[in-house]
Amino acid sequence: MRLIVARCEVRYTGRLDALLPEALRLIMIKADGSVLVHADHGSYKPSNWMTPPTTIEESDGSIVVRKFAGKEEDRLDIRVVEVLSDVTHDMGEAAALEKDGVESHLQELLAEQPHWCGEGFRLVRREWPTDIGPVDLMCRDGDDGWIAVEIKRVGTIDAVEQLTRYLERIRLDPAMDGCRGVLAAQTIKPQARVLAEARGIACVEVDLAVLRGEREPDLTLFG
Amino acid sequence: MKISAAREELLAQLQTVSRVASTRAQALSGVQLIAAGGRVELRATDQEIALRVPLTAEVEREGTILLPARLLVDVVRSLSAPSVSLEQRPAEQDVELVAGNAQFHIRTLRSEDFPPFPEPEQEGNVTVPARAFVDTVLRVANSASRDETRPVLTGIMVSASERELRMVATDSYRLSVKETQLEHPLAGGFEANVPARALQELARLVQQVDGETLTVGVRQNQVVFQIGDVILSSRLIEGQFPNYRQLLPESYEHELTIAGGEVTDVVRRISLLAQKNAPLRLSFAPGELTVSSQTPDIGEARESLPVAFQGEPFEIGFNPDFLRDGLEAVGSGDVLLKLISPLRPGLIQSAEDGGFLYLIMPIRLNV
Repeated sequence: MRLIVARCEVRYTGRLDALLPEALRLIMIKADGSVLVHADHGSYKPSNWMTPPTTIEESDGSIVVRKFAGKEEDRLDIRVVEVLSDVTHDMGEAAALEKDGVESHLQELLAEQPHWCGEGFRLVRREWPTDIGPVDLMCRDGDDGWIAVEIKRVGTIDAVEQLTRYLERIRLDPAMDGCRGVLAAQTIKPQARVLAEARGIACVEVDLAVLRGEREPDLTLFG
Repeated sequence: MKISAAREELLAQLQTVSRVASTRAQALSGVQLIAAGGRVELRATDQEIALRVPLTAEVEREGTILLPARLLVDVVRSLSAPSVSLEQRPAEQDVELVAGNAQFHIRTLRSEDFPPFPEPEQEGNVTVPARAFVDTVLRVANSASRDETRPVLTGIMVSASERELRMVATDSYRLSVKETQLEHPLAGGFEANVPARALQELARLVQQVDGETLTVGVRQNQVVFQIGDVILSSRLIEGQFPNYRQLLPESYEHELTIAGGEVTDVVRRISLLAQKNAPLRLSFAPGELTVSSQTPDIGEARESLPVAFQGEPFEIGFNPDFLRDGLEAVGSGDVLLKLISPLRPGLIQSAEDGGFLYLIMPIRLNV
């Protein structure tokens, strides 16, 4: 991974033309050929980027990144005016994403924003105890109905089975015999969705970047 | 109960009715056979939709039984004999099914757990042309949401009055409105948010059943459709349906008439390389529209077609499936495409038929 902090101007030509005027920027050149130009704002998104495979040509005061998209060439011309830092690090093998970390983070974010699990949901408690283990979130809806929410990174049939078991235990309490179930995950497998729907469990796909406020939600006609 | 019926007729009616049988509760997974007054009726429900279809059969002994729907369909489908007899054996709590030399004993489900069905009422119904009703359903149904977390959007808002039938569906990313002008004025009117699934089931039935008219009875929380001897009822969806008129922009920056078939074909082709949630990119330049897509690690596609576009070039991204749905729903003929800017909704409508509107939100493009 090469990190260059430089005063530079970046011109993109290809499907359209775009110009980033001369300013101090971070240029990331990854071993896989990705090139990302970051500013000190704009959240996690680069101001401009090129996905691999790319060809990178470097000369005095210039870095040219090229990529062929069909017959056309996408091109990033970086005119370097001043280099403040230019370091290269060997990153080694990347560790896999920590699954439990993601699930825990999802639970934390959905506890703060339970409306992503269903319209009008409000949080009653995280880690709602049952005699076979805690369900991730217990919520109530606008009609004061109970909803048990199980959160996963990937919603699988096992997740549906797990939530089904929790619901069986929760519904033993006469005050909660109408408790509904929601499986919330970043992605839900089609088979899991079928099984969940057959059991009356709702499925909700949530976007971690949107929950974190890093990306705006999809554009919609109304809220 | 004892009845006999032609295998082909029994299978066809069982397949029709069992589509709405539930896969959840045991009693609701059954099909109820009622032999009474010399007639046989098959019933199934999942508690949201309930369907009753007649069966042409010879009734030797009247009665009511509840049998597992899927199993009964599988058994009848497997039979080779032309006729089938079904006889209830109360002592054994089963039904003896005989067809040729084949004999089955199928345990009955508890009829007591099967819910009562709404009876059609004689008054307060509206009769509409079945074909026009179903055609209107099919133009908007794709826009209804499948997300059960927002139940109000899983329905189609159906309004009928005078000579107009209007249906509206939206999943918040797109909105379909179809207004169908009727030949004759209706004797009454109604407005109801009907689950899209029920209306799609009704569309299938209308295509199978003879009958030019459809009787619609809207009650407090349910709707009953009757075509011939077939009766489909559905619960209605409660809640405030979005006011679609407020969602339609008052004016547009660009209005283009495009050959509908051509642009739909281009969108279908280029969408093949818009996978993994990648948008379909529409690039407008004077005289030309270029449709392109790109999916990392899969590939890219682009195709241009002439359009009467004037002004500053601009790009707008759409969900490929949603855009294709809108173009296909317009049908044949030219398409009128109205756009404002890359982040504002676009409108697709038929250049000839002003009765259909498809409003679609764009997707943000990264570059």
